[in-house]
This record gives sequence, C-alpha cells and structure tokens, in this order.
Amino acid sequence: MQEVIESPLFSIAITITGYEIGKWLNKKTNNPLLNPILFDICFVILIMQLLDISLETYNIGGSVINMLLAPATAALAVLMYNQLDALKKNMLPVFIGTSVGALSAMTSIFLMCKLFGLDENITLSLLPKSVTTPIAIEISAQLGGIIPITVAAAVFTGIMGMIICPIFIKLFHMKESVSVGIALGTCSHVSGTSKAVEIGELEGAMAGLSIGFAGIFTVIFSLFFL
Amino acid sequence: MNICMQIALLFFICLLGQCISLALPFPFPGNIIAMLILFILLLTKVIKPEKIQDFTGFLLSNMAFFFVPAGVSILESYPIMKDSLLPIFLICLLSTIITFFVTFATVKLVVTWQTKHKKTVKGE
Repeated sequence: MQEVIESPLFSIAITITGYEIGKWLNKKTNNPLLNPILFDICFVILIMQLLDISLETYNIGGSVINMLLAPATAALAVLMYNQLDALKKNMLPVFIGTSVGALSAMTSIFLMCKLFGLDENITLSLLPKSVTTPIAIEISAQLGGIIPITVAAAVFTGIMGMIICPIFIKLFHMKESVSVGIALGTCSHVSGTSKAVEIGELEGAMAGLSIGFAGIFTVIFSLFFL
Repeated sequence: MNICMQIALLFFICLLGQCISLALPFPFPGNIIAMLILFILLLTKVIKPEKIQDFTGFLLSNMAFFFVPAGVSILESYPIMKDSLLPIFLICLLSTIITFFVTFATVKLVVTWQTKHKKTVKGE
C-alpha cells in the first residue's frame, strides 16, 4: 500500500479527482464560495491526513503538476493576443489603468500590513496577491514570500472581487464598459474576468487584457520592494 | 503541429525565459519572460495561435488546477499565518475594493480625456 501512495500517480490522481468534484459542486450549487481550487486544496489535505501522507510524499506527484505552471503562465500570452483588436483600440486606458491599479493594490496592501504589524514574510507574500495566481507565485518567490500564503490570498481575492464588485457596479450605476472591465481584471484577475464576461463582451475583453498587463506591471513594481 | 511538438515548443520557450531571467542583472521571473516571448512570437506571426491551441487551450482552461499543489503546501506555512488570519482577510478584502475603485476612476479619466482630445483635434 505504501508503494501505491508514494507513486507520483497517486497524488496527481487525487488532485484531479478533488478538482473535478469541486468543479461539479460549484456548477451544481452556483455558489462562488464553493471554489474548485479551495475545495481541491481541502480535499487533498483531508486525504493526506486520512492516509497519513506527508507533504514531501504528496509533492512527488504534486511537483509534476506544479511544473506545468510555467507553460500555463506563458499561455496567458495567447489570451492577450486574442484580444489584440480590443487592445489596439484602448491602448492608453489599458496601460494607465492597469499600472495605476497595480500600484494602488501594492501600496494599499503594504500600508495595511504595516498598520496591522504583520511579519515581513507575510507582507511579502501578500504584496503580489491581486494578480493572477501563477504570476503572483513567481513574484512571491522572487520577493522571498511564502508561496502557499500567496496562493490562498490570490484565490481569496479573486472570490472577493467576484462577489463584491458586481454589487458596487449596480449600486453606483457603473456603465462604462472599458472602465468596468479593466477594474475587474486588475482587482480580481481571472475570477473578476469571468464576471466581466457575464456583463458584456467588451468588459470581458478588457478584463482579460488587464490580467496580463496588471501582472507585468506588478512584476516591475515589485523590483522596487526588494 | 502535433500535440507533442506543441508541448516541446512551449517548454523550450519557458526554458529560454529562465535562461534570460538568470542572465538579467535584476530579478525578473522567467515565466513572465516566457509569456512575453510567446506574445512577441504571436505578434510577429512566427507562431500562429491555432498551431499551439491544443496545448495552450488545455493549459488555459485548467489554469486553476496547476496551482493546487502550491496551495496544499499551506499545511507547512499555516503555523506562521494562523495568528494573522483576520488581518490577512481584511487586507484581501479592502485592497480589492480600493484597487477596483482606483482603477475604475483612472480609466474613466483617461477615456474622458481621450474623447475630449479627439473632439478638439477634429474641431480644428
């Protein structure tokens, strides 16, 4: 039995299973809090506790999945390329919006971390959390942050944005498609973009572009936090 | 391009990104460089997006899955963050709201300025 558990196939198989169950539950209940990633993380941890699997053993297979983060991040280029026409028409709003947005995210996080007197390590882990998780992970690693905290914060930020932003959009009658799209993509990356797509085509395109550009600007700004 | 070639091509782009990242005098993540390389290759039509769409489509539609193992490692770092859970929650919540409004206002300003600017140019 030990050999089976230690096979990399085992961790990969349970991770996929948890993800698929999470996706199914998310669709079934339509509850944004029942996020497939969060569900999968809990599912895998539960199985590990039940079968007494160490993190080291899990990571034999986990590292194979983790390795695919590299090409997955690179593939974001295709997402940006697909919105090339929308980008050409709105070059300036996208550039200025995502750079100012990324800067305001990092500044507000930094100041609040200082305010709450959080550890340096936790501050560095939270700084990149507003951008899409694969990019946030890279920045966190570069800064010397704790990667799992970054993952949790980035996923959580996405869920928050997805739930709260539509309320503000309704409450304040925010109708400007370009502004709404860029704001959603910048503050809550992929989850925000999925909401933007629901609102409208231009909103979705703008949000999609903002994921990439906010990511790049956050990488650049984080150079100054080192 | 068959799917194996697509995988190899993307892996090579990632490796190239890592090489450049190591050669740079300042820290810049290799995966982001790989993303920029692929974007340039697409812009210059060296690679057509449909040639690599089997693999990139798979990666993009399952993006969330690939960072589950990074999240599972929370087991190891939970003791460090357990005393700061409430502040972390508040920071995530507030910074998301701040970023949303700042970005929205900025883009609105830029768009308004652009429309005015275009009108004055046309008016001349």
